[in-house]
Amino acid sequence: MPEATERRPYDQPTEELGPGQTSYTSITDKITSVVLTPHTPIQWFIVVAIGLCFVGLLQIAIAYLLYEGVGIWGLNVPVGWGFAIINFVWWIGIGHAGTLISAVLLLFRQKWRTSINRSAEAMTIFAVLCAGMFPVLHTGRPWLALYWLFPYPNSMAIWPQFRSPLIWDVFAVGTYLTVSLLFWGVGLIPDFATYRDKARNLLTKRIFGFLSLGWRGSAIHWERYEMASLILAGLSTPLVLSVHSVVSFDFAVSIIPGWHTTIFPPYFVAGAIYAGFAMVLTLMLPLRALYGLHDFITDRHLDNMGKVMLVAGMIVGYGYFMEQFMAWYSASIYENFLMDNRMFGPYGGSYWALLTCNIFVPQLLWSKRVRTSPYLIFMVSMFINVGMWLERFIIVVGSMHRDYMPSSWDMYSGTIWDWALYLGTMGFFLLAFFLFVRAWPLIAIHEIRTLLPTGKKH
Amino acid sequence: MIEEIQRHSEALAPRFDGYRRRALAIGLIGIAATVFGYLTDHQQFFESYLLGFTYWVCMPVGCLGVLMIHHLGGGRWGFAIRRMLEAGASTMPVMFILGLPILAGMHDLFPWTHTEAVANDEVLTHKLPYLNSTFFIIRYVAYFAIWTAMAMLLTRWSVQQDQTQETWPTRRMQILSGPGIVLLSLLGTFAGTDWLMSLEPHWFSTIFCAIYILGMALMTWAFMTLVGVPLSKHQPLDVLLTNERLRDLGTMMLGFVMLWAYTSFSQLLIIWSGNLPEEITWYYTRLQGGWLYLGYALIGFHFAVPFLLLLSSRVKSHLRILIVVASGLMFMRLVDLYWITAPAFRDHDGGVLQSVALTPHWLDLAAPIGLGGIWVFFFFGQLKKRPLVPSNDPRFDYGALAAEAQEHGHHG
Amino acid sequence: MNDTSTGNGAHGLMAEFETPDELLAAAQKTYGEGYRRLDAYSPLPVHGLGAAIGFPQTNIAVISFICGVIGGLAGFALQYWVHMIEYPINIGGRPHFSGPMFIPVTFETTILFAAVGTVVALIVLNRLPQPYHPVFNVPEFERASQDRFFLCVESTDPQYETEGTRSFLQSLGPVKVSEVEA
Repeated sequence: MPEATERRPYDQPTEELGPGQTSYTSITDKITSVVLTPHTPIQWFIVVAIGLCFVGLLQIAIAYLLYEGVGIWGLNVPVGWGFAIINFVWWIGIGHAGTLISAVLLLFRQKWRTSINRSAEAMTIFAVLCAGMFPVLHTGRPWLALYWLFPYPNSMAIWPQFRSPLIWDVFAVGTYLTVSLLFWGVGLIPDFATYRDKARNLLTKRIFGFLSLGWRGSAIHWERYEMASLILAGLSTPLVLSVHSVVSFDFAVSIIPGWHTTIFPPYFVAGAIYAGFAMVLTLMLPLRALYGLHDFITDRHLDNMGKVMLVAGMIVGYGYFMEQFMAWYSASIYENFLMDNRMFGPYGGSYWALLTCNIFVPQLLWSKRVRTSPYLIFMVSMFINVGMWLERFIIVVGSMHRDYMPSSWDMYSGTIWDWALYLGTMGFFLLAFFLFVRAWPLIAIHEIRTLLPTGKKH
Repeated sequence: MIEEIQRHSEALAPRFDGYRRRALAIGLIGIAATVFGYLTDHQQFFESYLLGFTYWVCMPVGCLGVLMIHHLGGGRWGFAIRRMLEAGASTMPVMFILGLPILAGMHDLFPWTHTEAVANDEVLTHKLPYLNSTFFIIRYVAYFAIWTAMAMLLTRWSVQQDQTQETWPTRRMQILSGPGIVLLSLLGTFAGTDWLMSLEPHWFSTIFCAIYILGMALMTWAFMTLVGVPLSKHQPLDVLLTNERLRDLGTMMLGFVMLWAYTSFSQLLIIWSGNLPEEITWYYTRLQGGWLYLGYALIGFHFAVPFLLLLSSRVKSHLRILIVVASGLMFMRLVDLYWITAPAFRDHDGGVLQSVALTPHWLDLAAPIGLGGIWVFFFFGQLKKRPLVPSNDPRFDYGALAAEAQEHGHHG
Repeated sequence: MNDTSTGNGAHGLMAEFETPDELLAAAQKTYGEGYRRLDAYSPLPVHGLGAAIGFPQTNIAVISFICGVIGGLAGFALQYWVHMIEYPINIGGRPHFSGPMFIPVTFETTILFAAVGTVVALIVLNRLPQPYHPVFNVPEFERASQDRFFLCVESTDPQYETEGTRSFLQSLGPVKVSEVEA
């Protein structure tokens, strides 16, 4: 076919695998070398030390909360939900990118997901753990939360209220954590086997041998393994949609203007993906530099993640627009007041900052140059991280601080304990993630192997 | 290679002409019946005509949207159906003309056109800057002008891509498609607000138009399946529309069936639990008497049955099942729109809870059939015009694919 | 370990290959030769390898589906029982049977049961955990999880015959053929 060879130059997408990786051996060696080495980069210690400090702060914040009660938080009468719900939604949203990368992109046969799915899944799990702390702690007496939340026969003969979205949350987040752990764990088994066989230290060998369940790479096992992965991906996809939808129901099934609007479920899901990809980039770019993973996280990955963020951001923008348009179109004085207050009220500055972070700045992602520049895309991601927090702040506080009766209007701000808890969970997240990176396979090796020409599926 | 594609495509022209003749015959009979309906009951005529219009307008708009997604994503499924999508999008002017009777029947359809009623209604007065006849017509023209322009540009560049080895047509199509899809969604939102939501002008829902847009895409996938399966048996599409690609179409239908169910359920749950008077009226009429059973039918046949059938890849590989599911979904899209539009006309008082009877009229079928016949006639007319496979897209090499298929054919 | 000592209790013979395609071709030939008790080992899933050694399609999907249906029914039944039978109580004027509001939990339990069922099925059907297996006795086998591809004909195969099988495997052009101690 002569036409095929005479093609004009065209920006073919960069390969999923960098030029440095040409054989199964080199892939295995490179990825296992992060863990199976006595050498640990100094930067790793620095990050872990910072993480530990904040985990200490977290412990203090929790201890004082349990001693004194939720009164130490900045909650007041019109604003009955504050940092706890904001941070819960923020964290759980961040988790969604991991599932999206590992499940949805698997269903779409997107090969580039293979080098980031493992760490993104780890991020999901740690983010969900951080998220889970807030609803449990906001009960004030977490040791009682068990029978408030889980349906089991108890001496008081009462049951959770299944018509409440807060109970849906328990089921959604519980299922999400369980399924994410299963998906993650299943993917880790063959890689643990690699570490078992690669390790020279006996103890390491034993530990990974134990974790690998004796995986030996039998063709029949692989056959079942692939089917199970596909099914788990198929289950995780609607699950990830449902989780943030259920989170949005926490707000939307109420009748508070600013919360009660039907676009919330898809708009929350898009926001979650948006925040999640921003966080993936926030973590992966420094990690790539630290461990020299440029062959695995290429320009192609940055480009694609930038595109996903752009799409998610546009859907989020559509949500903002519909809220505004329908508030006017509804002709409801409450809806109209809310939108007016949102833009020009006491928290108006936050709203415009939110639009800047989530809508205006990310328009840079239309440019391929920005998407493939590590510095620029990192900067955009940081804006989105902040913007998505502000979005939840606007939704929670902005909708509540001026309710129907002007005499009960009030302002809200987080106290030092609110911030301590929030920063503490960030420390926990950072610490957990870096421990994971040092000890476990941070890239799905067996999946990366399928990127080599000889391993490609026909 | 291009000549070969051209030759194979032209060989299919008699087949398309056959489809066109049949479609035109059905369309003309349907239109004749609809005109007869106008003479007997012009109120019912406009109601049924709106149903037919809002149903068939989904096709060109949906095709345009999916086409843009293809240009941005560039999966192989897209190259298999690109010419069909282009043909669908090119019928935009036809739908513009077919929709003109709606403008003529505005007064019979939309309560907010009744100036005396609007003057006595605070809510409608508030909406007057948007919901007024002049602006409605301007918007109608604007939607179609922009949609047509985008469809024409994409189609023209695609033809130019066939003729040149240069990559600029490819680039242009990609550059247009990014902002294009944003614009398309916004216009679709306003169109949904105009044509469907404002039938009950007191009611509002922020997700409503998104459901309508998702429905457009679902209908497009279903229609692509219906056209694609027979074409997959003939050159030049046989090597592209393999069973695997057809199964992909089934998967896309599955995905959009789920998205439709998800968004529709979200809207129901949020409004049902809020139970606010200005919102619940919409569902109140639709969850009474016959309408409730129609709602159950939607759950069953717009979601549960196609969902379960499309879930299994083994079931999906049976082309006959794929055809049945696609036809069923095409029909259920009509039922869904009927469930959305028809109860609105039974309640023109606005804001009053009332039960209305489910009284289908023969025009509710005649009008969509008539419009559909005409639309399909023009669709195949467009499809005939260009080779069925695009050439020279740098992301896709038909020659290599055909050679590979031939090699496999020799092996057995 | 290329010695010729033929313990009667050998697990089988193992051929080592360098690429997935070689392994796949070898597996197909071996199966075509009439060997039925064989297994192939690879560091990555190789498409069509299971079929090549005569493994029928896996039925995990059916198990997941059944588990999902059970989960959905269980979740819905729990809510129905709690709010209709065990302790019907009027909260906020909502009907006892709040159909739409029971859907989220029903959905979540469906997914939960299906996912747990899938993973349990995967582990149980694969007979894991299995810390000891004769193939691990071959020193080269540690590369089966890294960069090498192995085909093992087991001694329980009716056609198995140490020397004949060995020379057949040699004819497939492997890097090496080793005997697997039981």
